[in-house]
Amino acid sequence: MGHLLSLIVLAPMLAAVALLVVREEQRLLTRVVALAGAVASLIGSLVVAFVWDRAKGGLQLAEVYPLVPSLGIALRLAVDGWGVSLLLLTGIIITTGVLASWTVKEREKEFFILLLVLVAGVYGVFVSQDLFVFFLFYEIAVLPMYLLIAIWGSSNAVADAGPFKFVWKAFQIGGREYAAMKLTLMLLIGSAFILVAILAMYQQGGSTFDMGVLGAVKYAPAMQKWVFPLVWIGFGTLAGVFPFHTWSPDGHASAPTAVSMLHAGVLMKLGAFGVMRIGMMMLPDGALAWAPIVGTVAVVNVVYGAMSAMSQKDLKYIIAYSSVSHMGVVMLGAATLTVNGWNGAVYQMFAHGIMTGLFFALVGLVYEKAHTRAVPSMGGFGTVMPGVAAFFTIACLSSLGLPGTAGFVSELLVIFGAWQSAHAWWAIPGVLGAFITALYVLKVTRDIFWGPGPSEHFHDLGDAKRTEWAALWVLGAAIIVFGVWPRLLLDVIDIATGENLGALR
Amino acid sequence: MRPLALDLGLAAGAGLVLVADLFTAPQQKRLLGQLSVAILVLLFVASFFLDTTGAAFSGAYVGGPWVLFFKRAALAAGALALLGGLEHVAERWPHRQGEYALMVLSSVLGMTLLPGARDLIFLIVAFELMGVPLYVLATFGKDDSGRHSAEAGLKLYVVGAASTAITLFGLSLVVGLAGTTRLAGIATLPLSPLLGVGMMLLVAGMGFKLGVAPFHMWVPDTYQGASTPFVSFLSVAPKASGLAALVVVFSVGLSAHRATWLPVLVTLSALTLLVGNLLAIPQPNVKRLLAFSGVAQMGYLLMGLAAGTTEGIGMTLFYAATYIPTNLGVFLVVHAVTRADSVDPKDEGDAERTVSTFDGLARRSPWLAMAFLLFLLSLAGIPFVAGFWAQLYVFMAAWKVGLGWLVVLGAVLATVALYYYLGLARAAYVNPPKRSSGLAVDPALAFAIVVCLLAVVLIGVWPRPLLDAAMRAAAAAF
Repeated sequence: MGHLLSLIVLAPMLAAVALLVVREEQRLLTRVVALAGAVASLIGSLVVAFVWDRAKGGLQLAEVYPLVPSLGIALRLAVDGWGVSLLLLTGIIITTGVLASWTVKEREKEFFILLLVLVAGVYGVFVSQDLFVFFLFYEIAVLPMYLLIAIWGSSNAVADAGPFKFVWKAFQIGGREYAAMKLTLMLLIGSAFILVAILAMYQQGGSTFDMGVLGAVKYAPAMQKWVFPLVWIGFGTLAGVFPFHTWSPDGHASAPTAVSMLHAGVLMKLGAFGVMRIGMMMLPDGALAWAPIVGTVAVVNVVYGAMSAMSQKDLKYIIAYSSVSHMGVVMLGAATLTVNGWNGAVYQMFAHGIMTGLFFALVGLVYEKAHTRAVPSMGGFGTVMPGVAAFFTIACLSSLGLPGTAGFVSELLVIFGAWQSAHAWWAIPGVLGAFITALYVLKVTRDIFWGPGPSEHFHDLGDAKRTEWAALWVLGAAIIVFGVWPRLLLDVIDIATGENLGALR
Repeated sequence: MRPLALDLGLAAGAGLVLVADLFTAPQQKRLLGQLSVAILVLLFVASFFLDTTGAAFSGAYVGGPWVLFFKRAALAAGALALLGGLEHVAERWPHRQGEYALMVLSSVLGMTLLPGARDLIFLIVAFELMGVPLYVLATFGKDDSGRHSAEAGLKLYVVGAASTAITLFGLSLVVGLAGTTRLAGIATLPLSPLLGVGMMLLVAGMGFKLGVAPFHMWVPDTYQGASTPFVSFLSVAPKASGLAALVVVFSVGLSAHRATWLPVLVTLSALTLLVGNLLAIPQPNVKRLLAFSGVAQMGYLLMGLAAGTTEGIGMTLFYAATYIPTNLGVFLVVHAVTRADSVDPKDEGDAERTVSTFDGLARRSPWLAMAFLLFLLSLAGIPFVAGFWAQLYVFMAAWKVGLGWLVVLGAVLATVALYYYLGLARAAYVNPPKRSSGLAVDPALAFAIVVCLLAVVLIGVWPRPLLDAAMRAAAAAF
């Protein structure tokens, strides 16, 4: 068990290296190697969830490898309860993501290599206890996205409309290369903020990057007040915090299925995780001072994201904006600084990850078969693809927070938290967001799947096939299981929340 | 003469190549290039076994870890650049292969001598020994690639000569005040307006050589016009030596007046970062784009130096050492693609290459494209390739002395840089290939690229040995 965490990070990396020597023609082998890497890391995450000692709590499975001792940089790996649940989420999403991209058509080898490198970075972030290594993995997780979207993204549909048509044309707004560049640059500007914050903490915290040591340092409140917003904006960009969320709809809509799943499902959580883990826990005074703003902006996210989703015509944009709205719920939970709020935030990361993963997998399937993403042109697909329709409905119900789905648990906790916090009014827009969500997801489901059969235009529609079923079943089952039996994960999260919040007070 | 063992070996090697050139049949001139590479590699290996500490010429030259660091860097850069251009030179200038190799060896000799100089006359001689062969090399292609090469050579020469004159004038003021050419002698000078003028002239003169804004105008023209394998050498090795000269003159010699020259370096660093990164964006020509990116890189290099601490110098050395395989590699990849495409009669020619040259590189040659991507990422400062640590270390050095605003500027501009580096990566990976043919890369060039790639990746994964070496070298500078 000594090297479990490093093995989880290494497994996808090794699979990527192994893929380098696989020939392009060996298409099945390419997929099998990629799947092996993903499954190995998922198994590792499951083992972590089982061996993580609930009675003991705290950071477990620690590993330390000195990297640059003279600067206090070491590969310090360990997980707490939050990490356990997020590792599990990452494992589930990458495995189903590989299964869902079984039908990738061109340059498969490169696709899977980049996907695996990306996920290794994500795992790295969730397990690292060294601020520097944290940042390092963070960058790894962000960068492959550029090529993944620019090469395998969906078509360059430039939606030119309105008085600024020429700007849209000039920059090919809506095109995949535009989306890829926008996403990469916005996230990396965010990471420049993070770097500055990290250097400031390093400098005043005694020249080490050990998060355990730095977490115990009492930084001057004045310093915390200017460093915290840097962390919030930096990581918040990735978490889709308003108004730095604009990369997300474009990026998620343009990305290929597996990348959307991974990005909306896991990477955005990485941003929220960063705000909580580094911003709130290590800079408590800054967090207290900024919490009103963080929470209020989160509320804007919830409502604005939901309203934007409602007015979209493109199916992928609808799901992408719903992510912005749901990430607002996570940030709202974080900003409450209450036990319920934080439990809800982390649980929402998990629940939304699974749900949005399922959504994007389904959208990918629909697009692959119908060759369109325009909702008004679809209708009655339920009769020809009943499986897809059923799973889409499950995801929708979780999205609007129906009891019995994972989404219900987290939204309820967050709203409780908001009510108990110093800003009880946050609960009202929180509930309003859930209401608007119910409006648009139900409308979308009805428009696409229910009603009379599809027009003749969609003659070659069919249900999911082979590996696609596996992805749908795993994700769909997870929504129900974690909705009906939340304690399965909530216990672990609660232990970590108690400790982390205790450190903050 | 123990501290000069390597340099003497190199001088003897250069002499050997010169003589052998006279007695080699025209069809066997290729041997001369190979011999030169062998000499450089041999000396590089020997540098790990020979003890070169101590002083020579009654203290005008001092060996030690500081000098050794630069010697290895120069030898490695010379060997790789020569190796990468071996076939190209043999093809283009079959009768002048000996000259080409000899010029590179002489320039490397200047570079290996320079950091150990503790006497200003010695310093300027080494500086010129490094610089003059470069003028010759820049004009090598004047008969076949048209006006660009002549322009490249002339610009480099005129600017180089002017900057030497400025440097010399500055030195003459400093030396005139001190009454001695020894570095130890100028260290005790009191601050006077005349010394201030001397220092500013020195900064300007060396800034020209480094290609620091606002003295960077020659860089894009020279890079564009000169032959690419030579540019790969020009873009890295002289920069490291220019850095050495700056440290020797300022951090060692004039360290008492750091309050005067540090703000100048800080300003130059910020200006260079801005100019390099912003002007790189609109460049359609690959070599000009990379030239401006090289200017921007000098801004980061200066940032470590501008911190003014020994640690900062160490971080800068690390930066320079990682910059060598990275930028050399990038230009060698450009060269590999250029060479492969030059057989096409519709080819636009060496100096006219646009970004679209790399269209579909990933499908024409996946390995070359991967190397290209990793070099670009290293330049952009992305983790797990060498450039990331380099950039981070200079940021840390600058942050520690309170240059937070400079770090923020550098970090934000690094994102800008990523935009144009990704533009190149996009051509290689996303765009469809313009030519369907595969890419043949000759073995020597491929080997040089692989060595650069290994260096970039190994340093990226395990930076510690190089960092320790850089820190030891920096500590030994004084």
